[in-house]
Amino acid sequence: MNLPLTDPALLAQDIPESLTARLRSSGQAVCLRFSHAGDLLASGTAKGTIAIFDLETNGVARKLTGHTPGRTVQSLSWERRGRYLLSSSIDYKVILWDLRDGSRVRTLNLGAPVYIAELHPLDHRRCVAALYNYRPVLVDLDPGTIHPLPTRPRDLASDPDLKAASKHFTTVVAFTPDGAHALTGTTKGYLCVIRVATREILYSTRLCSKPILLLRLSASGRDLLVNASDTIIRTLRLPDLSNPNLRPDEIRLDVEHRFQDVVNRLSWNHVAFSSSADYVMASTLMNHDIYIWERGHGSLVKILEGPREELGAVEWHPTRPVVAATGVESGRIYLWGIHTPQRWSALAPDFAEVEENVEYVEREDEFDIHPEEEVRKRQLDQEDEEVDVLTVDDEQLLREGAMHKDTLANMNGSANKEGEAQAGVFRMPVLLDMGESDSEDEMVAIGTGQFRRKSTAMDEADFWDGDAEGGGEGDGEANEVVGAKRQRRGD
Amino acid sequence: MSITPLPDSASRSPKLKRSEDSDHATPQLDGDADDGAALQFAYDDEMPSELQSPAAEQEQDDAPAKKQKIERPTRLNYAPHMTLRGHKRGVAQVKISPDGKWIASCSADATIKIWDSRSGALAHTLEGHLAGVSTIAWSPDSKVLASGSDDKIIRLWDVSTGRCLPSPLVGHHNYVYSLAFSPKGNMLVSGSYDEAVFLWDVRTARLMRSLPAHSDPVSGVDFVRDGTLIVSCASDGMIRIWDTGTGQCLKTLIHEDNASVTSVRFSPNGKFVLAATLDSCVRLWNYVEGRCVKTYQGHENKKYSINTAFGSYTAEVEKQRTMEGQEQGEPEAQPKWAFAAGGSDDGRVMLWDVSSKEVLQELKGHDGVVLGIDVGLDDQTIVTCGNDTTVKVWKRLPLPEGIPNGVDGTNGVHDGAEVKGMLMENVATEPVTGEATPAAISTPVPVGVAANDEG
Repeated sequence: MNLPLTDPALLAQDIPESLTARLRSSGQAVCLRFSHAGDLLASGTAKGTIAIFDLETNGVARKLTGHTPGRTVQSLSWERRGRYLLSSSIDYKVILWDLRDGSRVRTLNLGAPVYIAELHPLDHRRCVAALYNYRPVLVDLDPGTIHPLPTRPRDLASDPDLKAASKHFTTVVAFTPDGAHALTGTTKGYLCVIRVATREILYSTRLCSKPILLLRLSASGRDLLVNASDTIIRTLRLPDLSNPNLRPDEIRLDVEHRFQDVVNRLSWNHVAFSSSADYVMASTLMNHDIYIWERGHGSLVKILEGPREELGAVEWHPTRPVVAATGVESGRIYLWGIHTPQRWSALAPDFAEVEENVEYVEREDEFDIHPEEEVRKRQLDQEDEEVDVLTVDDEQLLREGAMHKDTLANMNGSANKEGEAQAGVFRMPVLLDMGESDSEDEMVAIGTGQFRRKSTAMDEADFWDGDAEGGGEGDGEANEVVGAKRQRRGD
Repeated sequence: MSITPLPDSASRSPKLKRSEDSDHATPQLDGDADDGAALQFAYDDEMPSELQSPAAEQEQDDAPAKKQKIERPTRLNYAPHMTLRGHKRGVAQVKISPDGKWIASCSADATIKIWDSRSGALAHTLEGHLAGVSTIAWSPDSKVLASGSDDKIIRLWDVSTGRCLPSPLVGHHNYVYSLAFSPKGNMLVSGSYDEAVFLWDVRTARLMRSLPAHSDPVSGVDFVRDGTLIVSCASDGMIRIWDTGTGQCLKTLIHEDNASVTSVRFSPNGKFVLAATLDSCVRLWNYVEGRCVKTYQGHENKKYSINTAFGSYTAEVEKQRTMEGQEQGEPEAQPKWAFAAGGSDDGRVMLWDVSSKEVLQELKGHDGVVLGIDVGLDDQTIVTCGNDTTVKVWKRLPLPEGIPNGVDGTNGVHDGAEVKGMLMENVATEPVTGEATPAAISTPVPVGVAANDEG
């Protein structure tokens, strides 16, 4: 509801400018994912824990422990409503979490380390996963059945490179927005389109000779971003795969842009589209900056400077010009955003911002004296407009996430508006015992230039005496892990 | 937030749209082709007008017909239902929990009491503050109550156990005077006599942000429905709107009289703010335009810091709810109007129609100033509290048909000594609010008469 009062110049800005926040660390974060509503940021750590940050408070909203301690979390995937989160790890497991209570809905061992797992966009009981040295799989989480998907492109025979088929694996997999198709990338640089229903490859093309590291689809599903280890980032326009009349032999994928640093031959750690897919950004290997290209002309428009460390995973906020990235060494999470200066005209109703001095012209009746009663009476009489303090417009409901876009479209004539709206909302319960768990490696100044790590044990003594219920076994376990880590770091 | 056009916006350029729409809009003129139809007029002269007019007429016919069916009542009938006694000193604020199960009240006797909203039984007395408690706020899930006290501390209470959560919010340098939870329950905003507005992270009990708000004690704070705005007001007469995300002031509202603002809150749809000032006015502001759109008068408020509340009303009282109060179940197609409610220094409670500024009802029963007021989500219950140490619960009843002393008829419904006592009081004051003098109720009270109304 702040939009009508926000400076339009700020709203027009669509790329972040400067480092605005560092999230209170919660272990060494290696992967990130914004929820679809954009109010939460999930992060997975190198130690197998997952922390969900509330972007309004920049604090930890929930911690999830369930992956084998010490094994890196590889990927995170949100369900559309934000209630479920899928995580995958090199401990072979994918876990579907219910954020209502932080419980595990389903833990499934896929038999191999997982590169990446992604939830079906419309059905949180299905996911696809790319596995290390194994075929990609389509997983029905509810009964827990695993269906292998093909890796090999159709024109295998024609390509001598692919004879050694045993060394050809899928490294990355992603769903299209309607979930009918999955896109995969392989170690030999192939891009495949798989029809999920039949689990067969519709189309494949070779983009490069090096492994494909990451595939990302824009929200519309029509733009594809490919990061490969040949130091080139490619964008492709996809055909409308949801069109039932589309014939597989008509599919053609052409590279739209190639982004690379021809001078330094930088290779890219991680890439992401902006929310509208107008921009592409990438974090670079051995470099501290985030590069942002504009897709219209394919030009570099911004280099975001950050902390003095290499950045790993980068994510663009689903609606706002906000970028999050993890530091490779510290595992901290950094946020870039737009700097919003205080407008002085907001501080008093009669202030106005002017470009240059303006000579004040007195109104004809400005200093006329009217009897006070009369003025007041006139004012009160003028207050005759109808005001509506109850009705919330649909646009606002949509923005609040209380209504889904499709719901709004289908609303004409449908009576159960309330029911539909209710179905769209999930609010993660607010836990009030996060105090002790997120201050894990805060530094405390103990003298000039001297710092020591703040002890969580102390916090606990302060806040959690006998009668506090420590949140059960899970939390204790997490603290142990944390303790072990601190010791090792201290050495 | 980004207003960059989507990549496929090319296909939605006005030009294309026009041609697309005129293709399909010509034969059929249903509701969703509205703007196509509008464009149609401009660009296609050949379209037969008969095609257009019947549809339009039908629509016009439909809408007023619905409205005519149910007329806005010019009076409401909230009748005393319970009096909750137990506080030893004046009760500053009373709030119904969002789930409707509890009523919480806080008092100058340094305690907070939680009452069962149905039976009126005292569930918990929350003790822990070292000085009077001026303000309370329910978390959206109704599980936690926050309280702000003259001991400068904000405490969070677990309502199910009645115990204080282990980490209080410490940071204000003076009395904490007003509190509000964000709609998600993850943030708490507090206003204090130290002239600052603090924004707290509820999960960690940590101060997130301090807003350099005012140059006088902050008397009221509130969150807008989606949590992106905070409003604060102070006795310096200013109302400020803040961006929650950046902590920056977006707008300042001042009425020319500069009277101390004692409480402020957003309207249910978040488009207006309602502010009570010590010049015996309650004003409704369109904060985007920075304009006062309505001034509600008729009460007396020069001394105390009274609270206000919004409620809505329908023409008919649903029968189930009248007694039960808790029943969910959306009333179908009942037009709703809004009222603003606030206390008065002389013990009255005013209900104003938001648009017409008419006084819909004056509730009488409190002895001395009515400080706190809240309207239940179902709009059938109003709770009030005041300096007379009591909390009163009022329930909406159907308007008595032509019986001047209609509220009398409800006597038989309730029993219990306290309730009866209340009703006696009510009967005594009835001639003033009842239908015997309908003019006093249904017409806006003219300026100047307000002060003499009771005297």
